[in-house]
Amino acid sequence: MKFNLPFRKKKTPVEVPMPKENSERIAQSKDCFVQSIKDATNNPSDLIIKFLPPNLSLIYIDNLVDKQTLNNDIIANLQDKPNETPENIKDNLSIPEINVTSLLEEAIAALVNGSVVIHVDGFAQLIVANIASRESRSLSAPENESQVIGTQVGFNESLATNISLVRRYIVNPDLCIGKIKVGKRTNTSVTLLYMNGIASDQMVNTLRQRITELNVDALLDSAVLAEMIDDNSMSVFPQMLLTERPDRFCNSLLEGKLGIIVDGSSMAIICPQSFTEFFQSQEDQNLRWQIATFVRLLRLSAFFLSVYLTPIYVAALTFHYEVIPQAFLIPLSESRALVPFPPIFEALLLEFIIELLREAGARLPTKIGQTIGIVGGIVIGTAAVQAGITSNILLIIIALSALASFTSPSYMMGNAIRLIRFPIIILAGFWGFYGIMLAFCFILIHLLRQSSLGAPYMSPLYPPRMRGMLDSVIRMPIPLTARRPAMTRPSNREKFDPEPVKPEES
Amino acid sequence: MKKLRHIIILLLLFIFLCGCAETNILDQVGLTTLVGYDVGKEEEIATTAVIREVNPEFQSNVEVITTEDSTSKGNRMKSNRKLSKKIMVGQMRVILFGEELAKDDLHYYINTNLENASVSNSLYMAVVEGKTESLLKYEYKNIDDIGQHIYKLLEQNIKQEYTISPTLHEIAHDYYTTGKDIAMPILKRDGELVELNGIALFKDGKMVSTLPAKDSFYIKVVRDTFKVGIFETTLQEDDLPSTLLKSKEKVPVAFDAIQSKRDIKLVDASKTEFDLNIKMKARVLEIHKDINLGNPKKVAELEKAISKKLSKDVSRVIAQSQKVQSDVFGFGEKYRSTVRNSNLTKEKWHEMYKDIKVNVNVDFVIVRNGVFE
Amino acid sequence: MKNPIQVSPPNMINAYLLFFVIHSAQIGVGIQGFQRIIYKDAGHDAWISVLLAGIATHIVAFCMIKTLEIYGSNDLYGIQQDIFGKWIGNFLNIIYITYCFVAFLSVLRNYIEVIQAWIFPSIGPWFLSATLLILTIYAFTGGLRVIVGVSFFSIILSLWIFPMLIFPMKFSTVDSLLPILETNISSILKGAQSMTFTIIGFEILNIIYPFIKDKKNVSKYTHIGLLATTIIYLAVMLVSITYYSEGKLLKTIWATLTLFSFISFPFMERFEFVAVCVWMLIILPNLCLYLWAAYRGTLRLVNISSTKFVWIFSILIFTASLLIQTRTQINTINTYFGKVAFYIIFVYPIVLFFIAILKKKFIAKKEHKNEKA
Repeated sequence: MKFNLPFRKKKTPVEVPMPKENSERIAQSKDCFVQSIKDATNNPSDLIIKFLPPNLSLIYIDNLVDKQTLNNDIIANLQDKPNETPENIKDNLSIPEINVTSLLEEAIAALVNGSVVIHVDGFAQLIVANIASRESRSLSAPENESQVIGTQVGFNESLATNISLVRRYIVNPDLCIGKIKVGKRTNTSVTLLYMNGIASDQMVNTLRQRITELNVDALLDSAVLAEMIDDNSMSVFPQMLLTERPDRFCNSLLEGKLGIIVDGSSMAIICPQSFTEFFQSQEDQNLRWQIATFVRLLRLSAFFLSVYLTPIYVAALTFHYEVIPQAFLIPLSESRALVPFPPIFEALLLEFIIELLREAGARLPTKIGQTIGIVGGIVIGTAAVQAGITSNILLIIIALSALASFTSPSYMMGNAIRLIRFPIIILAGFWGFYGIMLAFCFILIHLLRQSSLGAPYMSPLYPPRMRGMLDSVIRMPIPLTARRPAMTRPSNREKFDPEPVKPEES
Repeated sequence: MKKLRHIIILLLLFIFLCGCAETNILDQVGLTTLVGYDVGKEEEIATTAVIREVNPEFQSNVEVITTEDSTSKGNRMKSNRKLSKKIMVGQMRVILFGEELAKDDLHYYINTNLENASVSNSLYMAVVEGKTESLLKYEYKNIDDIGQHIYKLLEQNIKQEYTISPTLHEIAHDYYTTGKDIAMPILKRDGELVELNGIALFKDGKMVSTLPAKDSFYIKVVRDTFKVGIFETTLQEDDLPSTLLKSKEKVPVAFDAIQSKRDIKLVDASKTEFDLNIKMKARVLEIHKDINLGNPKKVAELEKAISKKLSKDVSRVIAQSQKVQSDVFGFGEKYRSTVRNSNLTKEKWHEMYKDIKVNVNVDFVIVRNGVFE
Repeated sequence: MKNPIQVSPPNMINAYLLFFVIHSAQIGVGIQGFQRIIYKDAGHDAWISVLLAGIATHIVAFCMIKTLEIYGSNDLYGIQQDIFGKWIGNFLNIIYITYCFVAFLSVLRNYIEVIQAWIFPSIGPWFLSATLLILTIYAFTGGLRVIVGVSFFSIILSLWIFPMLIFPMKFSTVDSLLPILETNISSILKGAQSMTFTIIGFEILNIIYPFIKDKKNVSKYTHIGLLATTIIYLAVMLVSITYYSEGKLLKTIWATLTLFSFISFPFMERFEFVAVCVWMLIILPNLCLYLWAAYRGTLRLVNISSTKFVWIFSILIFTASLLIQTRTQINTINTYFGKVAFYIIFVYPIVLFFIAILKKKFIAKKEHKNEKA
């Protein structure tokens, strides 16, 4: 059953009312013009109006423009010139982005975007010069995706900086960058990046259509955008990757994926993304392939461990005590003897406490964070065992599964893993191993049904592609991974000509 | 559509609330580790169960409870009335039978345990000399949990290949094979210890004879193969050629790391004559007299002497089993698998078994003998 | 030819996935207890019956593929409508849909019986059947891709069960197989016929044929799938015969599952509890494929949406599964279903194949005459 969502993705395009041709012209007299600007912008306190005698008015919003450029290039050039037409002024100013417009709408939009508007008294045209300067954080190491070896630079909140970082890695004219504005009130700039000649045109069109069809009030972050253009917002599994690393971003672009960078957000979106790719890290490319294979298998087994270990414990203790090995039975039953609750309740309580710790740790100020972490972790744990609320074996199991859920390189996927554990514990507590199998089959069918931008979510496991599997759960040496993954339907399959792994004896 | 969705959600909740299964939470069950069956009064069965309970106040407690009823489940109900925990048999490891009960018929017990899905197929079965109740209820000084102790006793002896492996699966397998009979080890209380005292031979579920513990080696060598066994025997005077040892004395010799392979062949179907070839390779551990094992001729003669002694003993054991018509070795199975359309039944084979002739041929090879010669 | 089915390329599947579909459709609940039924007829030559049944499936699949190839891109329902005319063709289609319904019901009910016997004796069958139906509905509403994906993962994720057969081989006695061919040919053939219930499932090929992209590889992958199934059944039968003795095998209802009870790992004993639950993954593709086949058939008669169909079907199955309560009823259904399935699956396709060839020749001759005249 499909639930109707507020954001229609594949249906008929929403009727966007055509913007009325704003026939409001620009007043020719200075005072009327200034008044009209003030009315349109609700007379903000940071609107600066400078009159340059004899007939020029400069209007801009303070703190959005680059003062130095304003002073040196604009005001200096305009000060001693006689009154000229807007065309003349436009040619004289040494600003790269400069336009003449006769629509008030455009001028207001440019004004709030960081341009300076120059009005010549007596003319109905305006000169709009873009000298926006944005304050942004200096480039630093990505906070949520750290690697041991590899680049230590991450995206920051400025769109221009991010695009320049991408251009630094992919020095190629085929990198296509398209700009779309999303959000009625925020007018956030969203750029769509892809490699011309590699990415599939159909996917580009689908994605572009999805973004342009959005009819939202505001767009503040890329994660919100990801949820809005997802294939299935109701699923707990993310279908698009959010990453802070430019090298990960560029690697995906080169494989034929499409990237989206949102202005004001340091996370870039990559789609389509398959399930196994959420467990891959860029660091795998930097390590030797045997170690990379081992680490990837470790992550995948950590996923299963994290999701199923506690439910198996609950199921075995509640229903299937025969499964527990003899040697383990006595310590297990003795450690549980003190606990007054049934295993399911004990497990849920402990999981809840761990989630509390995690959430509190994320919100705490750094000064208190360390102390509370230790207090929470060690003291509460030991005290709980001694008070008889929980058994120490369960404590170890839950701590292990919590740890295992953090090995996923993607924070969103880690969250999904932590969440699906709860229903599985409840199912295991009521129906033992049968409940666990039900949950497993349900998740399997759900993953099979899922698609990411139209591409199957379980690719390359299903539909099975032998070549694709060489770089999914394992990582084979570079010559064996010379093809791009099939899920992106790239126009150009081969990355390079694979050579033999060992060079010929020459 | 909205209403349908509401109905579906209600349905799911309903399923959740009503479909609960019966829980067996670990610390609320009493685990039966061992059950002993005896003949009770008036054709009832007396069961002695060793049950381990887990309590928060002190260490886990082991109860030995005896009840009498006509079925084993009835006995379980009666025992349940005496305990604070639910009795479950999922972790049962050993089943013991009293001697008197074993002489009766064990077919019923084998079947009941096979039927019960929660009973594992790898539990051990053994016969107790006397009554199981007295063996289990005795207050051992050093043994805390008699159930666990007997299980470990049987397990390590079987692993070391001192005795045959009497798991439920193998016993049931042999019971239902035409042409083979079951055999179980015998336990006995010896002071403060429990001892493996021998092997019981069965005919059709009834115990008919016992063999001493030393002979369990011979039974195992014919039934099974060895991989790591250890054995000791005494070469009699007449076994030894005079070239080996000057004076005529008994020579005890012990060997281990035994690897044996046995091969039964039906030589003549009409006369039911079998050829039993046993190939053994072993390492000589101890030999009491000064026989120089460095001399290859002496070693060959020693091997021959040991082979002769072993053949004699194996023939003796087979003859004894023939006397009681209990074919624990599987000659009948060999007969059935070689002769076409033999239509062998258990009764027929028991009749034929006492008249079969077995040519035992042991081929013993000394592989090595340690680091000191 | 009338009513060809045109499927758009994105909805088609590749031929190599057919291997997984056929293989997973065949292995279902039959494998859990088929040994006993065949052993009753054929004795210890039951493995020959298995082999013969496997060869028969190859022959029948060959006929099926040839019939389908004559018609280009059509499934069984269309072929029947074409050959027999509208009324009889639809009647035969309804019989086939009922066959799918009963097959679904028997797989479901057998699995519920296994769960109730081994793990949860006290849980109500309605709960188990409701949860399995919910899973099947969820998979079905995802389309053919999801169903084929489920069969793919079902095979891949249960591959590890097959090497577990090594554990019981430790206890196997090869003598149980000898002497070979002791039973007469008619019993062996009778045993092969009683193998029907276990080995069917490959008739899904009839319905899924139009959805395959490269039709020339169909026969290759179908035969590989059938071969894999035959090998697995053969191996299981051989291990069962050598592991269990005759008497025991005749009395063990779910022989394959009991085989698992001997396996133990350091972290988990009593492996059969896990094996029984993992079996859900093995039967899930069977259920989905039968449901899908019934839907394709119903679509030809009535234009019904897939959601409505699946809900009606599920409610019917749910009520039917509640009506069957005792094991004897299940056994009766299994036997009758096996008998009917033998004619529908093994005899009918060969007959259909000949009729189709005759019709093709007849039409070709008529066209030739029309051309001449």
